[in-house]
Amino acid sequence: MERTSVILLWVAFLLYGAAFAVFLYHLFSKRESMNRLGLLIAAGGWAAQTVALILRGVAAGHAPVVGAYESLAVAAWAIVTVYLLLEWRTGVKAVGLYVMPAVCIFLGLAWFNYDAPSALLPVLKSDLVVLHVTVILISVGCFFVAGGAGLIYLIEETQLKRRHTVPVIGRLPSLATLDRLIYHAILFGLPFLTMGMVAGVIRAERWGVKHWYIDATPILSVVVWALYVVFVYGHMRAGWRGRRASYFALAGLIVLLFIRFVAEPYLGNFHTYGG
Amino acid sequence: MLVVVTGISHKTAPLELRERLALDDRAAVDVARGLLADEGVGEAVALSTCNRTELYVYASDSLAARQAALRLLAAKADVAIAELEPSVYSYSGDAAIAHLFRVTASLDSMVVGEAQIVAQMKNAYQQACTGGCTNVVFNRLFRAALETGKRVRTETSIGERPVSVSSAAVELALQVFGKFKHHVVLILGAGETSELTATHMRAKGIEQMLVSNRTFESAEEMAYRVGGTAVPWEDLHEHLVAADIVISSTSAPHFVVTREHVERAMKVRRHRPIFFIDIAVPRDLDPEINRVDSAFLYDIDDLRQVVEENRGERERAATLAEEIVADELAKVNAWLRSLEVVPTIAGLRDTIEGIRLAELERLGGRLGDLSDAQRQQVEMLTNSIVNKILHLPTVRMKEAAGSQECYQYVDAVRTLFGLNGSGVDVSADDEETLAGLRGDSAEAGDETAPAAGPDEAAPACGPDNCRLDDEDS
Repeated sequence: MERTSVILLWVAFLLYGAAFAVFLYHLFSKRESMNRLGLLIAAGGWAAQTVALILRGVAAGHAPVVGAYESLAVAAWAIVTVYLLLEWRTGVKAVGLYVMPAVCIFLGLAWFNYDAPSALLPVLKSDLVVLHVTVILISVGCFFVAGGAGLIYLIEETQLKRRHTVPVIGRLPSLATLDRLIYHAILFGLPFLTMGMVAGVIRAERWGVKHWYIDATPILSVVVWALYVVFVYGHMRAGWRGRRASYFALAGLIVLLFIRFVAEPYLGNFHTYGG
Repeated sequence: MLVVVTGISHKTAPLELRERLALDDRAAVDVARGLLADEGVGEAVALSTCNRTELYVYASDSLAARQAALRLLAAKADVAIAELEPSVYSYSGDAAIAHLFRVTASLDSMVVGEAQIVAQMKNAYQQACTGGCTNVVFNRLFRAALETGKRVRTETSIGERPVSVSSAAVELALQVFGKFKHHVVLILGAGETSELTATHMRAKGIEQMLVSNRTFESAEEMAYRVGGTAVPWEDLHEHLVAADIVISSTSAPHFVVTREHVERAMKVRRHRPIFFIDIAVPRDLDPEINRVDSAFLYDIDDLRQVVEENRGERERAATLAEEIVADELAKVNAWLRSLEVVPTIAGLRDTIEGIRLAELERLGGRLGDLSDAQRQQVEMLTNSIVNKILHLPTVRMKEAAGSQECYQYVDAVRTLFGLNGSGVDVSADDEETLAGLRGDSAEAGDETAPAAGPDEAAPACGPDNCRLDDEDS
């Protein structure tokens, strides 16, 4: 079962890579059918990965969110889920160009940190942990998409301001679309992040984790949370959008990446999945 | 028979002459019918757009066809042939077909990649077809040309990027706003380009337009033309709060809108983007505006540069388009060549058979004392000679069908045996008899008749067949 799971994960990896290639081709050829094909391939990858994660969960006997391998794979899955949902709901193109390679990197890192499925440590046997991890991952998926949209926005805006129109016109989504995407992705992800953080705190308190409040991960999470809250507030009150929205989305993304790849493995104490 | 095109275009004739030769639908059919009146012309289509007037005929003699077309055009334009001639180009055979395909693919257009020509060509063909001026060859040829035009549009980016200042401005604005919904356009000053841009934007969904001018009357005038509202010049900076797109072309010697104005308006409008288009020289809009967040400023030079880049893109696409055209041409030429051989063989047989019958007839008196059986022997003997002589040429021609040399064979046979209706005198006094016999002998030459010839596969003409499969383009 674990073997099937790993194979399927590889299938997903290859499909995401293929989708990326198709999206690239779409960018240059501008054929609508290519975008649909890319989406179809990405959805295929998502399906394969979903099955892979379920099998992994069954093999391990718990939700596959423990350890570096599982958590990275699930994070990639969450990003693709959010991306596909947003693409389906808003029809924004070109975000796949950023999401697909990011997801491939995540899966590559996951593979690098592979470990065999194992029973849960007793400390982690808790519905609260599952809730905590799940909702946080959903929010991470949203913030990833927002960060990608922000990145594309900044590139496109700079090109337009410099009057480099050839790589932009008809190839990238309009600035208005990206702007909306950033805001909605953050707005959608924020409640999940909040929920996840609250669940984390409750869990730490209940289990009597010492000094959790001076650990790097919770502190930086509050920073991220504050960033997004300030942005949403600024958008509502003062109409913050465009370039400024992109900065927020990118800043949030950078801190999230820092938490995952620096704070947890090297600075943190109790988030065990850092590998 | 070969395709001959004769015409004038923006490349050879000034607008004044093109105007005189412009044909409306009815006139185009009349001209085509006029061409058909000529002997040796089988099919005709007249194409007329604002950039070209071209007469396509399927004729046996390219020179005669060209002269006839020239005469018709000269009469239409009311000028002497000699005066018209320098502006006229004419191609025949493969070159004419290549021209037809390139024109339909908009590769010969004034603006390469423009979208209208396919529709115009389609209309020209349909008019001619319903008018009964086309047949097997043109039905196939024009449909193939239209198909090629469509292929070029969908498979290359030839028509994607705007190559006029006004449409480039609209395209850029769309890149910022996605699509026009409740966006407001503010037009400052008057001017052809700004009016054109406004019209383009309305076509893309802009509903609200504000027009402002130093003299309110001019603003009202312009507002009337573009379907907008005139607003007083004094309130200009307040309108910046509402306007999403500003098109400026005043004759002011200084900046009408400065960075400070925009920054102030931006705060009130909560940083919703504004797209500024400065068409005026000297400029109306402070270039510093481009530095403001969410403000985009393109002046006339920027737009021209965009247009220039887009032209470059189109040229790159055009090379690809030429490949598609060559591809489609190869297909249609092969078909056409195979088509040519069949009537030529039939014609050759008719002629020889005609000679045989005529000679038998002539000798009829002197053969009077022959018995019926002997008469039949003579009949069979002559028949056999004719068949033996014709056998090898027929086989060779059929072999050549579809190849490059095919036209040479066809041409040679037609010239050598006078199949084009001129040249050879079989025997002056027998001309009449011969003509009479030709009709009868059609059966005699039947073995070469194209039972499953290529023309069977092509759509026959008639008003019902003139509708093209898809009417979406």
